Amino acid sequence: MTDKIQLPPARYEYGGDEFVFVELDQAMSLEANFAGMAVTNALREEAIDGVVDICPSNASYMVQVDPDRIDPRDLVTELRRLEASVGTLPEDYVLKTRVVDVPVLFNDPWSHETLMRFRDRHQDPEATDLEYAARINGFDGMQGVIDAMTSAPWIVTMLGFVPGLPFCYQLVPRERQIQVPKYVRPRTDTPERTFGFGGAFAVVYPVRGAGGYQMFGMAPAPVFDLSQSLPDFAEDISFPKANDVLRYRAIDMAEFEATRAEVEAGTFRYRIREAEFEPAALLADPDAVNRELLEVLYR
Amino acid sequence: MNRLLVRAGGLYTTVQDTGRFGHYHMGMPPSGAMDIYSAVVANMLVGNADDAAVLEATYVGPKLEFTDDRLLAVTGADAPVTLNDEPVEPWTAVRVRPGDVLAFAMIRAGCRVYVAVSGGIDVPVYLDSRSTYTLTGMGGHEGRKLVDDETLQLAADGQATGSGGAVVPENLRPDLDCPAELRTVVGLCSYRLTEDALASFLGTEWKVTKDADRVGYRLRGGKLDFTEREQPFGAGSDPANVVDLGYPIGSIQVPGGDEPIVLLNDAVTGGGYATIGTVISVDRDRIAQAKTGESVRFRSVDLDTALAARRDRRERIEQVRQQLGR
Amino acid sequence: MATIKAAMPGVFYRRPAPEKPAYVDDGDAISAGQTIALIEVMKTFNEVKADESGTVAAFLVEDGDEVDVGQDIVRLEG
Repeated sequence: MTDKIQLPPARYEYGGDEFVFVELDQAMSLEANFAGMAVTNALREEAIDGVVDICPSNASYMVQVDPDRIDPRDLVTELRRLEASVGTLPEDYVLKTRVVDVPVLFNDPWSHETLMRFRDRHQDPEATDLEYAARINGFDGMQGVIDAMTSAPWIVTMLGFVPGLPFCYQLVPRERQIQVPKYVRPRTDTPERTFGFGGAFAVVYPVRGAGGYQMFGMAPAPVFDLSQSLPDFAEDISFPKANDVLRYRAIDMAEFEATRAEVEAGTFRYRIREAEFEPAALLADPDAVNRELLEVLYR
Repeated sequence: MNRLLVRAGGLYTTVQDTGRFGHYHMGMPPSGAMDIYSAVVANMLVGNADDAAVLEATYVGPKLEFTDDRLLAVTGADAPVTLNDEPVEPWTAVRVRPGDVLAFAMIRAGCRVYVAVSGGIDVPVYLDSRSTYTLTGMGGHEGRKLVDDETLQLAADGQATGSGGAVVPENLRPDLDCPAELRTVVGLCSYRLTEDALASFLGTEWKVTKDADRVGYRLRGGKLDFTEREQPFGAGSDPANVVDLGYPIGSIQVPGGDEPIVLLNDAVTGGGYATIGTVISVDRDRIAQAKTGESVRFRSVDLDTALAARRDRRERIEQVRQQLGR
Repeated sequence: MATIKAAMPGVFYRRPAPEKPAYVDDGDAISAGQTIALIEVMKTFNEVKADESGTVAAFLVEDGDEVDVGQDIVRLEG
């Protein structure tokens, strides 16, 4: 982030007659994500008739339209105009968001049991997913990669795949990002609440199902609650929101079980704090901004 | 009264309307009838609103017993339909009475039949829709497919007094000929394929595999090469990988280069595989009627053609409405 | 000649799991409603049931073959 990333010209594509897809960069960067945030926020405020949904993604975004109400080409004209006027966040732009503490039991028995069943689909059948990630990222052991993932917070850069799944990108310079490939062949099973990792993204799987991300741990608290029985889900069945800042915190089995009991009792609440930061300041000095965000969270 | 008895659920029968919109950004696909034309026309035949909830049955139809006076219509795939073991016509409004039993024989062409009942299937509205999304178990009838020996609620205002008999003319019924031609807007991340691979994609007759359901259709029949590149940061090391992005409904991805997947109404909304184009919205109706073992082809079209096809479908729906005097 | 037909397309299996014996063999007597095979489609394994009683003369489809709707899979004696 010391070398500011220059984005290429945005690429506008039609996903058939009902979608417009805009690629801001082929590579992931906070700059690309913030540019998408700027345009999609501006588009949302315009409340254009015929825009069915606005879907920010990691380094791209997608707009679903009703072509009976708006010609997708007219939307692209408007998106180009927005890109020219707000396509990069102004230097003094302040992002209002929430910082959330998300406990994770790394190297847990449940995702371990699952990953052992699918070793034949993995790059390194002899190691666990965490051991493999530690090795290819140059750490001595898995504690090193756990420390790296839990020392700095992450920003939710996309929701999707299945309802409520947050794609999270760590707020550290590119050279400090952890990267792992996805499984050679996707698994047919992943436990609910698995903490997964693929490319440069951390996720929590909302529901049990297929998946291709490496499996590192298990969150005791849900990110998706169809029954809406937990207070944090009163408004929405899905907890994470785009731009949320999540701090993954390593916990032990005792805390995992205690948190599970709270979830079962319907009393669990995420630790959430309102926060704001300047993306420009974050890009200039990520460690300083991260310190402030964590201080707000645990104050 | 107001109940529909499910004597047999069939293979995979769900309650669907025209879909649940506005939640794609959080990862929730629209669901809804896969073959929209057949679902809307079935509703018209029985005098329902176009977006009333119907039953969508795949391959093996359900067996249903009526408890009151209703109008019934069956559209979509070509399967022999019986009422109390007597043949009845599809694409036709049929008057049913308490105790009447609707059943299906083996399908002859197509894949999905639609059953509309006057008043509509009265499941609770969830996030503005009655459509079923089975992955998370939401919407429709308890978020799942129908099982044997259960009961569905019908809307109280759908009691029929008149007789049936309204018919959709042959020329306004969909074409189920094989192979299905799927008009496709090439693009998105199609730059990941070599020129030869893109030509081969469009020239190949692809076979629908057994993994073809409401989430998507997995196809087989060729091998497509990706252009070589140094993978961009965050994408992952496989040449089919991109930085995770949104997948349009109807979009086509080619994990591994040899098994294209067309995403449909219960799509995964995003992920890390390069998308190479999108089947136009109208032709989702067509792929919905392509069954495992059949072939499909993709034909490259521009956005104008896609929009014209959509207008054409709307005009056909209005023609049906006029013919039926609804 | 009586046959049992596939009610759905998919992949045909004669045994409930790879290490298990076949549901029925040639020459076996079967009764109506008895499971005689599986067809895998849409990520589920669906039981194929005999619609009438009889004796299996021959299976017309190999284990693991693709079948189409309406295809004859078993010929019954008589």
